[in-house]
Amino acid sequence: MASSEAFPPLIADQLHYLLNHSPDSIKIENVRSGNKFNPKILDRFTLVIPYCMDTIKWDVIYNSEYPASPPDFIFGPDDEDFMPCSSTDDSLLDKVLSEWNNQDSTLLLALVQGLRDQYVAYQRKRVGQVDDDRVKFEISTVLTRKGIEMQMTLGADKPEEVKFAVPLVMDMSINKLVVGCPWKNEQKIYLQVVYPILRKYESAPSSPRLKLVPSSDLKALFSVEDVKLPPWMDGMCLAEYLPHLEETLERQILEAISAIVLRRSFVEALTIFLGRPLEADPTFCRKASFLAASGPFPFVVHFFFPTQFPKQQPALMLQSCQHLNQLSEPVKLNLLTDYPWSPRWEVGRMAERLCDFLTDEAVNFKKYCNEALLQH
Amino acid sequence: MEDLSLEKIEIQGPTLASLIQRASSSPCDVDGLLFGQIHRIVSTTLSDDSPATSSSSTDQIVATVTSFISSGKTVSFYDPLGRVDSLRVDSLRVNSPDHLLGWFSARRTSPNRPSMRELTVSSSLSSRFQLPIENSVNPNSASSSVFILLTTPLTDQLIHTHEYRAYQFKPLNRRLEPRSLGIVNIGPAFRGHYGSFNPKSGFPELLCEVSSGSSAMNEDRDDEGSSLSGKKQAVKDQKEVDALADGFQVGSLKRLVGVEAASFTGGIEEMYERMLAKVESLASEVEKSSAKVLELDNHNRKLRYRVARIER
Repeated sequence: MASSEAFPPLIADQLHYLLNHSPDSIKIENVRSGNKFNPKILDRFTLVIPYCMDTIKWDVIYNSEYPASPPDFIFGPDDEDFMPCSSTDDSLLDKVLSEWNNQDSTLLLALVQGLRDQYVAYQRKRVGQVDDDRVKFEISTVLTRKGIEMQMTLGADKPEEVKFAVPLVMDMSINKLVVGCPWKNEQKIYLQVVYPILRKYESAPSSPRLKLVPSSDLKALFSVEDVKLPPWMDGMCLAEYLPHLEETLERQILEAISAIVLRRSFVEALTIFLGRPLEADPTFCRKASFLAASGPFPFVVHFFFPTQFPKQQPALMLQSCQHLNQLSEPVKLNLLTDYPWSPRWEVGRMAERLCDFLTDEAVNFKKYCNEALLQH
Repeated sequence: MEDLSLEKIEIQGPTLASLIQRASSSPCDVDGLLFGQIHRIVSTTLSDDSPATSSSSTDQIVATVTSFISSGKTVSFYDPLGRVDSLRVDSLRVNSPDHLLGWFSARRTSPNRPSMRELTVSSSLSSRFQLPIENSVNPNSASSSVFILLTTPLTDQLIHTHEYRAYQFKPLNRRLEPRSLGIVNIGPAFRGHYGSFNPKSGFPELLCEVSSGSSAMNEDRDDEGSSLSGKKQAVKDQKEVDALADGFQVGSLKRLVGVEAASFTGGIEEMYERMLAKVESLASEVEKSSAKVLELDNHNRKLRYRVARIER
């Protein structure tokens, strides 16, 4: 995009407000202009909106010649039945559109939020119309849960499926448990359940596909790949399955939070041998860098901690302070993960053994650096 | 018949061309009204064999777009929610005698699907305006439910530059259903159209000779009164002729019919010349006023940009 291309200032304000304040991380793509004489004035774009663990794309069309008018929306090709403006009961959309004021930068977000809410209801209605006993039963039993999003996938080349995104309820707020939590939005874990729709010739419904999806920032604390999903028994339903899963997850998240404390105490134990760290991740203690020396040879040790610490040992990376490679970057060694380690040691012993290993390894590293320099 | 289904939507080549031209020459997205008619076309197919089923006739309800008017902007005859304002429709169509068939929307670099607002406008328009079905068996009317969407592709392309699609709004499922857009031409394939053809001439019905005959018949009428009304009629006729051909005497029209007609070619030429002169002077006036409109338009744009704080 050329630097001179820009949205009219008031539209830009609305857009920035939308991107910075939306609870869902909305993205924007395909910015373009509909203006013949001033094609550098942008006035239309595509919003990529997270929905049901997937995204939906809506085109937003302003008119740059009349930037004071509210925008128009074009929904996805599969959603031609989605008619938010025709349902007369939605006074919010009515109000925002009929009392549009282009000086108020919050209105675009209000409009998109209002439309998304209607979209949730629209998809739920579509899923409700599916002629499948299991889906009908699941809807009737999980309706008491809040925030469930549903989606119907139809396609000539795809099998018919109904997708649920269920926010898992835990008796705690992950954000509050993390000391010095940097996250703007409340972190959650969703369970995505995909039900294949029963075809006429099939007698028994196949079990749904299950997948855990965390909010984007959660990976610093907790990796859902480490969670082993409880098995889905034949004839099981979501209402039976969820409480057990939620309990398991709750326990694992509490473990992950106590792992922060362990990592921190390990970093603290390292300072006895290596001095103050150059840099350390204070919230989740996933990274720490120390300056070390072997005789006159100074080097930096980077520690990368897995979420499974101390079951898994940290990965180390050595970086020379004196040697540069051909690209004028400091010479580094590949990640070291193979060294003596036992999760049963206490942190002081872990740090001690690790520093012993470093002392030996530093000699090899120095040799490696000098060889690299000679080749250069 | 509320939920009448159109077989297809047809448009004359020149009308479509000028619609595309209007869309591509306008500075921004535009919308406007479509005029035309809806008629029933009966096409009979004759076959040689099996006399029992020798002929079958099919009824087609077809909408034909004959003209359009562009508003030069969007949100012209409806509000941002898509609710149609009848007063604004009337002021946009400016006494056009044609039937309101539907509307069109032209927008650049956008998907060629109806938008949220376009759907609502179509719904609102078709619920408020109706037009008669020509050639209908029992007098019937249909709603103004035609919608034509003109778009350009999202990325600039050298060959494929414009797209158009036609839709009919169906109130039953509140949907815009795609219809094929046929381009009307001359030829055997379009014979059905002639059946429902109505001549539309602006030329006035002039009494000329007939008027003298009728006054002769009405002998008991007061002579002065008759001549007064005759004069009034003559002045009125002259005015109507002046609108078409400045300065041509209405009396000379008499000679267009009857025995004198053969030797009156010069008179006809005179009338055509005057008509041409009138058209030319109109053209130059239009040109002048267009320049003025453009000037005002540019001024308005500057003001709008200033309000929107767009710098150029």
